[in-house]
Amino acid sequence: MGTIAVATVSTRRRRSSSRTDAAIERRWGYAFILPTVAFFIAFVAYPFIRAAYLSLSRWAGYGTVEFVGFHNFVALTQDPIFWQALRTTILYTAITTVVQTALPLLLAVLLNAGWRGGVLFRTVVFLPAVVSFVVSGILWQMIYEPNFGLLNRALRAVGLGGLAQGWLANGTTALPAIMFVSLWMSLGLFMLIYFAGMQGINPNLYEAARLDGANSWQQLRYVTVPMLRPITAVVVTLNMISGLKVFDIVYTMTGGGPNHATEVLGTYLYSIAFGSRTASIPAIGYGTAVSMVVFVLAMGAVLFQNWWTRKARDERD
Amino acid sequence: MKMNAVPRIPEQTPSLSRRTFLGFSAASAALVAFPALLSACSSDSSSGGKKTTVRFWTWYTQQKDEFPKLIAAFEKANPTIHIENRLFGGPNDYLPAMQAAVSAGDPPEIFAPHVYALEYGKAGVLADLKQELGESFLSDFFDSANQEYTTGGKQYGLGWMAQTFGLYYNPDIFARAGVQVPETWDDLITISQTIKQKTGLIPCAFANNPANTDFLFPFITQAADDPTLLLKLDAQTDGASWNSPYVVQGLQKMDTIIKAGVFNPNSSGVQTPQAEASFYNGQAAMMFQGSWGPQDFAQNAPASFVKLYKVAKTPALAKGGKHWCANQAGAGLSVSALSKNKAAAIEFIKFLYDPTRYTSTMNTTNSMPATKSAAAQVQDPILKDMTSWLINGEGSPHIMFGKGTNDAVSSAVDAIFAGTVTPQQAAANIQDSVKRAQGR
Amino acid sequence: MSATDVSASHPAAGTAAQISATHRQHWSRPTSAFARAGGYLVLLFVGLGTVFPFVWMLLTSVRESNTVFSGGFLPSSVSFAAYRSAWVQVDMAHHFFVSVWMTVVTVIGVVSLSTLSGYAFAKLRFPGKQAIYLLLLSTLMVPPTATIIPLFIELRDLHLINNQGGLVLVYIGTALPFSMFLMRAFFESLPSELIEAGKLDGATQWSIFRRIMLPLAAPGVATVVIFQFLQTWNEFLMANTLLQSPNLLPLQPMLFALNGQYSTNWPVLTAALTITSVPVIIVYVRMQRQFVAGLTLGAIK
Repeated sequence: MGTIAVATVSTRRRRSSSRTDAAIERRWGYAFILPTVAFFIAFVAYPFIRAAYLSLSRWAGYGTVEFVGFHNFVALTQDPIFWQALRTTILYTAITTVVQTALPLLLAVLLNAGWRGGVLFRTVVFLPAVVSFVVSGILWQMIYEPNFGLLNRALRAVGLGGLAQGWLANGTTALPAIMFVSLWMSLGLFMLIYFAGMQGINPNLYEAARLDGANSWQQLRYVTVPMLRPITAVVVTLNMISGLKVFDIVYTMTGGGPNHATEVLGTYLYSIAFGSRTASIPAIGYGTAVSMVVFVLAMGAVLFQNWWTRKARDERD
Repeated sequence: MKMNAVPRIPEQTPSLSRRTFLGFSAASAALVAFPALLSACSSDSSSGGKKTTVRFWTWYTQQKDEFPKLIAAFEKANPTIHIENRLFGGPNDYLPAMQAAVSAGDPPEIFAPHVYALEYGKAGVLADLKQELGESFLSDFFDSANQEYTTGGKQYGLGWMAQTFGLYYNPDIFARAGVQVPETWDDLITISQTIKQKTGLIPCAFANNPANTDFLFPFITQAADDPTLLLKLDAQTDGASWNSPYVVQGLQKMDTIIKAGVFNPNSSGVQTPQAEASFYNGQAAMMFQGSWGPQDFAQNAPASFVKLYKVAKTPALAKGGKHWCANQAGAGLSVSALSKNKAAAIEFIKFLYDPTRYTSTMNTTNSMPATKSAAAQVQDPILKDMTSWLINGEGSPHIMFGKGTNDAVSSAVDAIFAGTVTPQQAAANIQDSVKRAQGR
Repeated sequence: MSATDVSASHPAAGTAAQISATHRQHWSRPTSAFARAGGYLVLLFVGLGTVFPFVWMLLTSVRESNTVFSGGFLPSSVSFAAYRSAWVQVDMAHHFFVSVWMTVVTVIGVVSLSTLSGYAFAKLRFPGKQAIYLLLLSTLMVPPTATIIPLFIELRDLHLINNQGGLVLVYIGTALPFSMFLMRAFFESLPSELIEAGKLDGATQWSIFRRIMLPLAAPGVATVVIFQFLQTWNEFLMANTLLQSPNLLPLQPMLFALNGQYSTNWPVLTAALTITSVPVIIVYVRMQRQFVAGLTLGAIK
């Protein structure tokens, strides 16, 4: 314990009841969070509330805002493209969450074995996370291009020309193609997080496992993975949220096409609100209603995951 | 656990006095205000000094080198006006910015109206150019260009670049395959098969990413032999419905052509630059494209190719039939009715469209003009050809202003290319989609 | 988590170097030559796969404009004219500077506020803490495209449209929930005994924060800096919408403008993309060690 100068302190303090300490701590607490909350209310909460109001209205972006209650949400239930986008979004989220949680972990484990050039590898793999969606979208569109793109050219060069196709043009391959790009962008980031987490695992635990006769694989299973659980939980949450909210990457690569094959809630909401890719008169109220659905889904996913983690932890302990 | 020695903290009052709390709040307020103070220095106020600022927003990258020159000349002649030129890459980055500005009631003084011209006009966002510029000024423009921006007796936009669509082709490849310029769509199918057999090349390069609705619309007009049908369908007036047999016929024709292998495979994955590249690199014999082709080719294609290629009219439905082709001014300009600098904006518009100047701008950039006087002086031979079709009146609409039309038609075109729907189904889907969009 | 777990993960005097030196003794790694070779192969494959789009980007930026979609993989002639064009055409020096200062100010603002509030949520007790925290976090789930128009209208009412300061305020505001979440996680992993000791010494909360906790959270701060720098440097939608005059714009919107609908000059575009990516890569490479160290010491628990 550090040195305690009780005498000097007590002469200063008039009242040393814990009730006052608590009051002091309370005021400091509020003081510390005050600027953050102020910013939050100004630039996050207020626009969100206005957006929520818009989701209950009809507005084309000009002219009057007409309140229509739940009309937009009712219309959503009758909109086949909305349902398709919802299904695609959930599918996309499920797959990317699993893949983008498991693969980086495996890679981190591999990396942890110690290699020459490990640092170089870490740097290189992180690079895709560093560039913006604009850059990635453009690059990968060019790579997937059917006639001149790198992918098909490479396939033809090694004699697999039969596999060459319009990756982004084909309804079946377009979504997986985009998911691959998502993996490309997030692999390095999450791998790095896991890797760093693994450095913090107490060596004694490994020692104990070794003494019990565990080999590499068993050590992984019974020491590494359990100890990484909190990090895994965070990674899963991040993946779920970004999957449900996904927009940039899909939009720059396919715009939600072809024929809504890759339409996700994010792109659908954008095309309704701004009518760009297919040039239609905007329906901002309706588009915002879609975003409210995303919000509710994301909240639900996070709450569910929290509950699940807590349950799993309780069962374990 | 071994604990670090805790650093000794100098004595201080442990409580949080009101003064400290206020001091803290003041500090955080200052932190918040700092960027705002910074902003006072860096903001670009629209009336710096005595200059009137006219914001000019487009994505017409064809004139990206010309605009600065024109603006410099204008500002020299009008020292009290400053033109702020913002050139976007395309509708994707343009539309959110433009719509946000309109939503806030402060659209740019001059901007590209995209398909919102009529709606914005009716809502009072855009100025009536008949009033601002006068009939004689407008009479030099092509009728189709004026019509598309007119509603309720008022005109809300001006054509900046007109468009027609044609079939570019490579005469050398045609000669090699021994084929002639097709007059009808069936001819096109026939020569495509010959080209494939004799040369193994792609008959017609085609970019369907994003969905190329320009290709579909003339089919509908040709089937009905009536350009006003599309206008009615777009506005959903006169009981017009996309379930019309003419629409189905048009979709059917398009489907037949696609299935006959006229186009490169994977069209839905090909974008315009790549399609153009396959054409000017001699991998495709033809390309169906709008009148911005010549400029692209002048910029990117080998010089020998630029001298070589020619253009033919959009094929007709039957022998002797009209070669209806799309003809509207896809690129236009509108003036905000809500800005206090409207007069200055109008000055700039007049400056831009001064006949000599406008002709020169269009010629330098190989663009198709929207005025008859400039059209008469087009220099590029291919463009001259295509412009003449505009004058000769075989034009049909290809820009849909109605709520939900473009989205619905794009989906249908994509579906036909993917082969996942029948023409009848596609037409029904368009109608459903449009009805839903109108109900939002 | 038991007390020993917590303490075991934070060797109090551990440095990154020491940790990496000893980590190899932790997990028994497989030593068979087969496994090693296989491992190398996987790493090589993944590394190449990650990097080849960038290689393509570089190669395209140095080739002739009309050989982009034809010709071989390697350009026959190399020219840096595209870089010069990119620099001039987009007025890169100017927009580069705009991006730099706006990002730096944003990062400073975000770090200051998120460390304060992250610490408060982690270590201080006050009523409503949990509710406020969840409220702040919940907004992470909203797609930004939904709030851009309400945000625009609000800024217009505040006369902050077309105002770089206004954009920075928005950046800071929208970045806070996530950064605060990160900092809270970091602070939570720091032992509370330090705070107790400080209190008994008679220090104010502010002193405790500034002199004890903040220095220890340096790795966490490094993490927030990296994330926030990337985020702000690459941000496009808000900059493009909330700023109107071209000379106020940062880099990303200008890049977008190069990808024109009617005419894209690929070498120039890729040259511009390369130039834009360089600063972020530098920041990352420099901060990488701190980043790893930070995640190690304060493993997100």
